[in-house]
Amino acid sequence: MFLKLPNLIVSLASILLVNVSFGQNIIISGYVKDSTNGETLIGATVKNKESTIGTTSNSYGYFSLSVPANTSQIICSYVGFQAKVINIKGAKLNGLQIGLIPENREVKELVISSDRLDKNVRSTEMSRIEISGEKLKSLPVVFGEPDVLKAITLMPGIKSGGEASTGFYVRGGGPDQNLILMDEAVVYNPSHLFGFLSVFNSDAVKGIEVIKGGMPANYGGRLSSILNVSMREGNNQNFKYSGGIGLISSRLTAEGPIVKGKSSFLISGRRTYIDVLARPFIPENLAGNSYYFYDLNFKLNYILGEKDRLFVSGYFGRDILDFKSPTNRAVNFNLGWGNSTATVRWNHVFSPKLFSNTSIMFNRYELFNDFKFGAGGFSVRSGLVDWSLKTDFTWFAREKHMVKYGFNYTFHTFTPGILSGSVGATSINEEINKQYAHEYALYALHEWNVTHRLSLNYGLRAVAFQLVGPYTQQEFDNDTGLPNGNTKVYGTGKTIAFYPRLEPRFNANYLINEVSSIKASYTQTYQFLHLATTSGAQFPLDLWVPSSRLIKPQMARQYAIGYFRNLKENQYETSAEIYYKPMRNQIEFKPGANLFFNQNLENEMVFGEGLSYGLELFLRKKEGKFNGWIGYTWSRTTRQFDELNNGKPYFYRYDRTHDFSLLLSYQINKKWASNFVFVYGTGNATTLPDSRYAYRFGIDPQTGEPLFVFVDRYSDVNSYRLPAYHRADVSFTYLAKQTKKFESSWNFSIYNIYNRANPYFIYFLPDIQTQTVKAYMVYLFPILPSVQWNFKF
Amino acid sequence: MKKNLVRILSLLIFVASFSACEKEIKIDIPPSKQELVVEASINQLSINFNYVILSTTLDYFNPSLSLAAVRNAEVYITEGDIIGNDTLFDIANRVQFIDYVDTIFPGIYLSADFRGVAEKPYKLEVFLQDGRSITGTTFIPKPKTIDSLNFWFEPNSKDTNVFFYMNWLDGPEQDNYRLTLKKGFFPILSGWGNGTRFYTFDDSQINNQTRPFFNFSPYKYNDTLHIYLATVGRKEFLFWDSFRSAAGNGGPFATPVAVKSNVTGAIGSFTGYGLSQRSVIFRKE
Repeated sequence: MFLKLPNLIVSLASILLVNVSFGQNIIISGYVKDSTNGETLIGATVKNKESTIGTTSNSYGYFSLSVPANTSQIICSYVGFQAKVINIKGAKLNGLQIGLIPENREVKELVISSDRLDKNVRSTEMSRIEISGEKLKSLPVVFGEPDVLKAITLMPGIKSGGEASTGFYVRGGGPDQNLILMDEAVVYNPSHLFGFLSVFNSDAVKGIEVIKGGMPANYGGRLSSILNVSMREGNNQNFKYSGGIGLISSRLTAEGPIVKGKSSFLISGRRTYIDVLARPFIPENLAGNSYYFYDLNFKLNYILGEKDRLFVSGYFGRDILDFKSPTNRAVNFNLGWGNSTATVRWNHVFSPKLFSNTSIMFNRYELFNDFKFGAGGFSVRSGLVDWSLKTDFTWFAREKHMVKYGFNYTFHTFTPGILSGSVGATSINEEINKQYAHEYALYALHEWNVTHRLSLNYGLRAVAFQLVGPYTQQEFDNDTGLPNGNTKVYGTGKTIAFYPRLEPRFNANYLINEVSSIKASYTQTYQFLHLATTSGAQFPLDLWVPSSRLIKPQMARQYAIGYFRNLKENQYETSAEIYYKPMRNQIEFKPGANLFFNQNLENEMVFGEGLSYGLELFLRKKEGKFNGWIGYTWSRTTRQFDELNNGKPYFYRYDRTHDFSLLLSYQINKKWASNFVFVYGTGNATTLPDSRYAYRFGIDPQTGEPLFVFVDRYSDVNSYRLPAYHRADVSFTYLAKQTKKFESSWNFSIYNIYNRANPYFIYFLPDIQTQTVKAYMVYLFPILPSVQWNFKF
Repeated sequence: MKKNLVRILSLLIFVASFSACEKEIKIDIPPSKQELVVEASINQLSINFNYVILSTTLDYFNPSLSLAAVRNAEVYITEGDIIGNDTLFDIANRVQFIDYVDTIFPGIYLSADFRGVAEKPYKLEVFLQDGRSITGTTFIPKPKTIDSLNFWFEPNSKDTNVFFYMNWLDGPEQDNYRLTLKKGFFPILSGWGNGTRFYTFDDSQINNQTRPFFNFSPYKYNDTLHIYLATVGRKEFLFWDSFRSAAGNGGPFATPVAVKSNVTGAIGSFTGYGLSQRSVIFRKE
């Protein structure tokens, strides 16, 4: 099957060649950018004056448009910016630098209604969401901290893991089935503060894109979704500083030109300071205890010439927890974790029709834990390091054809755990075997406007995963969990497991009329990395493990069909999508599995199947004084494992029958803007004990009373529903000052305005008086006001 | 002053928001299937420490916080011999355990005749009046002796903390341990539940060298501590290790844990302990 790929690429090419005819058209290409700061604009519309031919700028702001030779003008527009008419008669047609001027709010509505290409209806893309960095900042959030991962859960089909979790669940997939990219570098653990906040600093975020289905062939690596976070490039015209001071953290960003108009830098930092604020109030015996996180983003952007651009970007973040025992000052516990990423990207325009991007990426996730006490200490290290090379080509073949192709290679190094230390004279040194893997991907896709009404986007992604030595595979006895003495040694580079797979992708759009269309998609995806966790949330201690001889790659197929319609001259976008998504080789852990420092982790796993299907309805008004969206999802998600729930299918923990979200934004006047959010979701499925028994018996010799503990016993998995989750939030932004040199604003938000007690978890306690067990529900955030001051100069 | 006010307000809001709230709720859980539970414990050191406890599971919200005892069962433990690869149990060695204290503590079966011997296998047989039965086997491993024990004092603002450090030789073979600490004057452990702190561990990290143990939670000056160090078999260790997870389960990210029983016909364990004991009084000589 793997050998068929070249044939398919040849077929793709021949389709193009048959359709290509040269002579009558000219090619116009270049970049679209914000004229005030030089930031490239992603998704800007470029079309001829008659609006019969058009395209949009890619994720680097580049466009290429094939128009009839007699075309005299083109129009470039972008939401929130003044449209610009460019005369091309006698002008240089390639390497255009189109600078758009931001609109003020009063005229913005006019631009939208008159000049927007109707992307929602016309493009083959479906199941895709984009949110700008500015929009993110305005949403009401807990503690007033703008958060990418919280914001996307307001969209249909994307469910939140809860208030204390940045994990998100897309169309029935787990949190590890989302590929989270920051400027193309993978982020393995996207959370700070044990999941309360994400690692993305909103000041450095240009925009986000979520692909939850209909994944084109240029994306892969995870089953369920892609979250693509683009970082801002920095102002290449003027030095600017911006930041914000909130209740728990502050942010500061500096940006400016290195060479005006040619290159720029951006550096942005964030740190919590609750440890500093709390220090004076902490009792003496608790002094030295603290928790904080910080992160740092940087980006350099060079325009090397008309055809070349270079971007260097990076991220470094850490969470640090220091604990000193109040009863024993010699006991000191230090836990830290964090991501580091670096990306170097080179854009090259081979010709007006051929654009390329080559990226070299590095990313590391590491966990470090030091534990010291009087008689000795331990040190534990674990982590994951990736080196990646990726090249993508976009060939604007001709007016109705665009081809993308490229490859991606990643070398993974997994360090599950290194333990070293001593207790008294005894030394302890143990290492769970490191693992090494190559991951390859090769893809080609063809976007084809077959007729005025029918467009296709189809492609193929060939992927392969190769787990290699050096590695010593120990065999374990299933009953005792101990090594049985048999080992197999793999030399450096020797293949342990190899999984070549093909991922066909297909998207089609049929335009019913100028304002409505039907879209369909089919996606097949494989995933070779798996998160070892027994909880619903993602924790710093969780490990990523590779596919191996025993752990087969996860696989999903997704079928989706949707109806898209725009109303009132494209002011309103509506859509209804139905999806059906069977999943294979899903991974769960046996009840009570030990995931920490376990050489035989594979033996703790069980493998099964998953199924998710649902209906998503969406209504959005993108711009105007009054804008927002309403999303509703009806869905069902189940899992089936032979070893769990007696082999019967059970509801996935985050199965949510009904999920509703409402976001309303209103620009009250020039000074005040407001947002209102309401969310409702069916309660999570959870497993509760159905019986209990007394164990570890003893008798108190002094009182004669029996001593024992109750142990809970479980039968059906996830058969109980927690109460429904719902809350409403409101936020107001007050533009305190706005001059050419300085701008400041206040963001006031109230989270959970009607003080809903939303379930966080349930626990049980025996009540001696009534001789019964009582159930208690813990909820995290009551009504919670917060304030944040943002500035820019 | 203003600065301090901002600090205090910020702290209060932060602390308040993290002080999770809770409320009692009513939950409907359908009736469960009743199952037998057995806790059988034998050792080579103390006759008072050999017992079999029989009970059943209860519906979760059953209005009882007592042991759901199973009465009138026939309970036998038989000592066996290992000959080559075979384990033989001679019925002549069968000892009956009887619920002598039925009126006070129903469900507890004891024997005045039973003596555990280290490095011997044992078989448990339980026959209930309703025809159900429970069987299981165990082995009393060779006990380990605590080689040294040191303690020291660390004064704090209120009184004096005491920490101790002890060790024993682990040996080259695969060993599994249950360690129980009991504070107080009375030296006899009347059931494992009479301990005050419990630990379960194997020798996967420290093998064939001196095995250290250090207590992180301090004792006080003049406290008396009784230390019970037991070696157990692998199946028994897996049970008690899973029991530790099951009994300590709870909180927001708890997942259902099932104990790994080493008996058939019931939930629970038949554990043979290679037991050693040491007592210490934390005071200056």
